[in-house]
Amino acid sequence: MAGGVVEKPAGYGAPGAVPNYLNHVAGIKSWLITLDHKRIGIMYLAAVTFALLLGGFFVLLLRTELLQSGGVLFKNNEYYNKFFTLHGAVMVFMFIIPGIPASLGNFILPMQLGAKDLALPRLNLMSLYLYWIGAVMFVLVLVFGGLDTGWTLYPPYSLDRDTSIPLLLALSAVFILGFSSILTGLNFIVTMHRLRPVGMTMYDMPLFLWALYATALIQVLATPVIGLTLGLSAVEHIGHIGIFLPQYGGDPVLYQHFFWFYSHPAVYIMILPAMGVQSELIATFSRKHVFGYKAIAWSSIAIAAIGFVVWGHHMFVAGQSPTAGIIFSFITFFVAIPSAIKVFNWVATLYKGSIELKTPMLYGLAFMYLFGVGGLTGLFLAAIGNNVHLHDTYFVIAHFHMVMVGSTLNAFFGGVHYWWPKITGRMYNEKLAVIACILVFIGFNLAFMPQFVAGTRGMPRRYANYVDEFTIFHQLSTIGAYILGAGVLLQVVYFIASLKNGKKAPKNPWGAATLEWQADSPPDFHNFTKPPIVMAAYDFENWEYDPNTGGYELRKEVVEAGHSLATVHN
Amino acid sequence: MSDATAHDSHDHGHGGALPGTIGHVTSVGTLVKVFLTLVCLTLATIAVARMDFGRLNVVGALVIASIKGSIVALWFMHLRYDKRFNFFILFGSIIFLVWMVSYILFDTKMYQHDMETYRHGKTIDGKPKPE
Amino acid sequence: MHFDTLHNQFQSGKLGMWLFLGQEVLFFAALFTAYSVYRGNHTDMFHYGQYFLDWRMGGANTIVLLFSSMTAAWSVRCAQLEQRKGLLITIAITWACAATFMIIKYFEYSHKIHIGAIWGEHFHIHSFDELPLPLQEKLSHIPVPEGKTQIEAVNDYLGKGGLGLGTFFAVYFCMTGLHGIHVLVGMGLYIWLFVRAWRGRYNRKYYSSVDNIALYWHIVDLIWIFLFPLLYLIG
Repeated sequence: MAGGVVEKPAGYGAPGAVPNYLNHVAGIKSWLITLDHKRIGIMYLAAVTFALLLGGFFVLLLRTELLQSGGVLFKNNEYYNKFFTLHGAVMVFMFIIPGIPASLGNFILPMQLGAKDLALPRLNLMSLYLYWIGAVMFVLVLVFGGLDTGWTLYPPYSLDRDTSIPLLLALSAVFILGFSSILTGLNFIVTMHRLRPVGMTMYDMPLFLWALYATALIQVLATPVIGLTLGLSAVEHIGHIGIFLPQYGGDPVLYQHFFWFYSHPAVYIMILPAMGVQSELIATFSRKHVFGYKAIAWSSIAIAAIGFVVWGHHMFVAGQSPTAGIIFSFITFFVAIPSAIKVFNWVATLYKGSIELKTPMLYGLAFMYLFGVGGLTGLFLAAIGNNVHLHDTYFVIAHFHMVMVGSTLNAFFGGVHYWWPKITGRMYNEKLAVIACILVFIGFNLAFMPQFVAGTRGMPRRYANYVDEFTIFHQLSTIGAYILGAGVLLQVVYFIASLKNGKKAPKNPWGAATLEWQADSPPDFHNFTKPPIVMAAYDFENWEYDPNTGGYELRKEVVEAGHSLATVHN
Repeated sequence: MSDATAHDSHDHGHGGALPGTIGHVTSVGTLVKVFLTLVCLTLATIAVARMDFGRLNVVGALVIASIKGSIVALWFMHLRYDKRFNFFILFGSIIFLVWMVSYILFDTKMYQHDMETYRHGKTIDGKPKPE
Repeated sequence: MHFDTLHNQFQSGKLGMWLFLGQEVLFFAALFTAYSVYRGNHTDMFHYGQYFLDWRMGGANTIVLLFSSMTAAWSVRCAQLEQRKGLLITIAITWACAATFMIIKYFEYSHKIHIGAIWGEHFHIHSFDELPLPLQEKLSHIPVPEGKTQIEAVNDYLGKGGLGLGTFFAVYFCMTGLHGIHVLVGMGLYIWLFVRAWRGRYNRKYYSSVDNIALYWHIVDLIWIFLFPLLYLIG
């Protein structure tokens, strides 16, 4: 994997600047046709951030509407329905599913393997273009009048309607975004199998990669099902073929089976990469070899596998048979085992570690608490009797936001802070970052804790109105949403500012031991100017602090020996 | 998990491979024989289906189709000579397909009765359907 | 070029293709489920639907596809042995078989659309004489209520509110249609491959596209191997 230093093309970059992947060629075209996983990762990062802000804007509208019973914003409840549909769809399909794997994964995965690129770079670019096409179509849904079906698009309500264009646009958008996701996953699996450097076994890979591997398996095996389901839905809507619509002889419950056969595993597409980021953060900032490496690695695979056999717990009150419901309820409890294995191992990693409370670590700690709450309330909902009571209430909303937003969004923020110096070569303002982190944490808890209570008292989801006794919960929740929004905006501000004024980032500001930190910040076009010294993921003893650069450098002995000094491996 | 990078040995081709050929070369004889076997099995499945074995007809048709499918996968798709991981991908995806088909079929069979009751104007507990 | 050896590059492409094929299997999974659900719960629907399908046409198509699968596998052999002429011929035969398959399919579809044996709410047989002969025999005894014609009675019996053959044809057209789209994509790929082979782009160390497109073609064949008995044979 040796890569020579790229000759700097004349006229590019500041005079005397070290050539890197950002300045070695310039111009919009060089970005649009690039096969470089780093640039593609950055474009993904920009796109998913845009989706996050868009979906976040929608939800702020919704929360504002709910400040008072009777509404304060929309003239018509139809707008409420359209905005919660778009909030869900944009967040799920455009932000949270591609979020971590396509942006951070794309950038970091080949570097953690010491490779130059993903195994199939053209496919990677194609997946980005598919994502853009899908995203544009979603925006067009809004232009053509919006959609009020909920992101789940359940028939008969969704398919039996007169206005076709927004529906068909949304169906095709999700279909295309799905293929973008499949191609990313496929590429990741091939890369991890074929481009590991000599001397790195599967068990030497960072846990982030194990998580991405498990995610990729789900992406490849589950996503095609939703593709076809939405294809059939489109055909049903146009041709009334009688597969899903009951008035033509179809079975709407069948749609829900198909939909959740994908969408439940998709929940693990959302959370697994977050757990991967979490493993990196906890290990690095505890400066300690991660506890229970193999347990964490295989629990990712176990979660992916169990994820395929529990989809029916979304359908307890949908007309599914009670027998199937009981079986699904029983199997659902098993998800808790690998999830708990992870949490216990992270906690054990913290034990006696020398913990450094940098911003990424703060997000990591918040993750553990929020995932704990989200995961444990999941157990309440897995019990079928309890579920019938809580089904479609704010309790469910709070539960899955705790996992999807509390955990995944937190890990996404943590990951972006963690890898920002590597990606951009600049440090962000640590003080502002801590403030933003605290805002996000407070805002988030304030937004969703009251919803648990409101849910157990019977506040149903997706309603534009409520009885007066729920007012206090909704108002607290709305204030929380505003605080969360402020925290996110603050992040955007200091990240953009860091590009201009940020301190130059050292090679390895955190003392992390995975291979990407041996590259320059920002990396060379070929990632590594000289082949990285291959070592297991958490051999922190190979690095020492260098006060001159403000970062960590490989110990001289390691460089001379050309291999890790660690005696204990994973 | 398959072994990494370039350590896997090159497949040994026969059937007159040139030096340095990548992958396994299947001989013409094998290709023709496999094709003829598949044709015979197609005729067999038609013959079996024209007899009435009741429910067993489905089983018979699926068994013969699975044999044909395996032959295509093993010889035409080179899985016999290929890396084992590729076999697992195909096998795994088929397992998921079977799981999906059988579980959903099981559930729809369970609730079919409720649906029929409702269709005939009654709720599950035998009361008249609400308007 | 970021692989250390050609062999690694070849195996990477192949692994990617296999993952794609795994994805294809699950792409069809929903349709196989729909088939099983409707067949498992409405046996009569499939029993009657079968009369509309001609196993001779389906059988002929099976043989055509099997033959094309053989030539596709043969084309890989030709590429490995650097037999340029053989490669071009096998690709051309594979393409021709795919085209034959689509032509036969076209005749099947147009006949069904012509007599009105189509999907969902549009299922409506136009005339009793156009029904397949065995079905005419079977349906000749159904009672015709007063004020209705025989064909109206037949449509009531087979269609909505009756056996629901509309759903049978929805399943039939969706399964064979999606498969047909895959055949068309395969034809496109083989044209591309032919052009590249014509320009002599492949040799014994570099023939990934030939191999991967053949793999794709085999999975199309493999799916048809299951569709044929499920739709045409077991009633």
